[in-house]
Amino acid sequence: MVQLGSHLLKGYRGGHVVIRFALGGCTNRPFFRIVAAHSRRARDGKYLEQLGCLDPLPNAHGERVAGLNLERLRHWLGCGAQLSRPAEKLLGLAGFLPLHPMTVTGAERLRRRRAQEAALAPADGSSGPGDAP
Amino acid sequence: MAALGAWGSAAAPARLSRVARALWGWRARRGLGQDAGAADEGKAAKPSFEDETVQNLLYKMTGLNLQKVFRPVKKELKPPKYKLMTEAQLEEATRKAIEEAKEKLIMPPVLKEREPIDDVLAEDKFLEGTETTKYVFTDLTYSVPHRTVFQQDRHEDILNMCIAQFEPDSPDYIRVHHRTYDDIEKHAKYDLLRSTRHFGGMVWYLVNRKKTDGLLIDMIQRDLLDDATSLITLYHMLHPECQSAKAANEGKLQGVDLIKVFVKTESQKEGYIQLALQAYEEAMATSTAS
Repeated sequence: MVQLGSHLLKGYRGGHVVIRFALGGCTNRPFFRIVAAHSRRARDGKYLEQLGCLDPLPNAHGERVAGLNLERLRHWLGCGAQLSRPAEKLLGLAGFLPLHPMTVTGAERLRRRRAQEAALAPADGSSGPGDAP
Repeated sequence: MAALGAWGSAAAPARLSRVARALWGWRARRGLGQDAGAADEGKAAKPSFEDETVQNLLYKMTGLNLQKVFRPVKKELKPPKYKLMTEAQLEEATRKAIEEAKEKLIMPPVLKEREPIDDVLAEDKFLEGTETTKYVFTDLTYSVPHRTVFQQDRHEDILNMCIAQFEPDSPDYIRVHHRTYDDIEKHAKYDLLRSTRHFGGMVWYLVNRKKTDGLLIDMIQRDLLDDATSLITLYHMLHPECQSAKAANEGKLQGVDLIKVFVKTESQKEGYIQLALQAYEEAMATSTAS
């Protein structure tokens, strides 16, 4: 069996370790595993280590639960792993990393859009469309 | 920087040079005001870890074994370099080595355990409307069993890793340190830490819990009488209400007499210490005779 093993091990050229989300679950029921894997591997394929999980759907108390193995996360970051953007955003929200700028930008955009919609809605009766955004 | 200044200047030991303050600059980064208050309380009640006298005693007990301090750290193998030197140059090199060794032996601070932080870390008002649901983050870390590390006598390595990874007042740091010290005390492996910067912390821990007998026996067996007297002096400083402290203050005892008084009143393993003292005195007698 040892002789077969070397043919089953996949060798890559280049690539690096990334910490990213691997999608699992069923139809209309996603579930993410936070995983350290080679960047060239399939998204849901063989990984080096599972570092946590994220359930994107809110539970009975209206919460989205995420688990993070911070000690192993620190180990992989120390080994030089990179992070995918959603992983960075999640860790920023968790407080382990500083907040991601796109989170802030997304929040501002959402707020601006909501303000615009709020301004447009009552403007049917009173005045014309509000100021240019 | 104010908090760091309070902590550093209140003790003001000469040994805490700029190097140490840069090393322990985490204080400045945090800027927690409550630490200054805690340090003051400790000093008012009884001698704390950072007192100059305490630090001097602990430093004397640590010893300065150059061979051990500059033991080669596991790096890539290189053939040793030989230099030809005159006597004067050799003395100069030894002196410089002692200076560097002193810096390596600076003790990491022993602090009270930090209370768990229950307060809000950050409130970001501008994120308010984005998420309709709350996020709950769980920490899934679990610690590695310590048995394998202790069996291999790698106490010093694990304490070094602890210093690198944890802040000195986090519960993890304190828990690992206490467990290491307990294991060392159980198996009497004091010599593992002897010329390292963890020795002071270990002695402080043992003296606070009055578990000094094993250490005392070890010191007497290695003929380190000065260290034994410093240990007992430290014990008296920390527990001034005990009998041997009062007797020592009245009689102003020194050296072996101090140890004998201490042994009679305070120790649990009296028999062992008496035996060790006897063996030491016989050895002294034979060496002076011959």
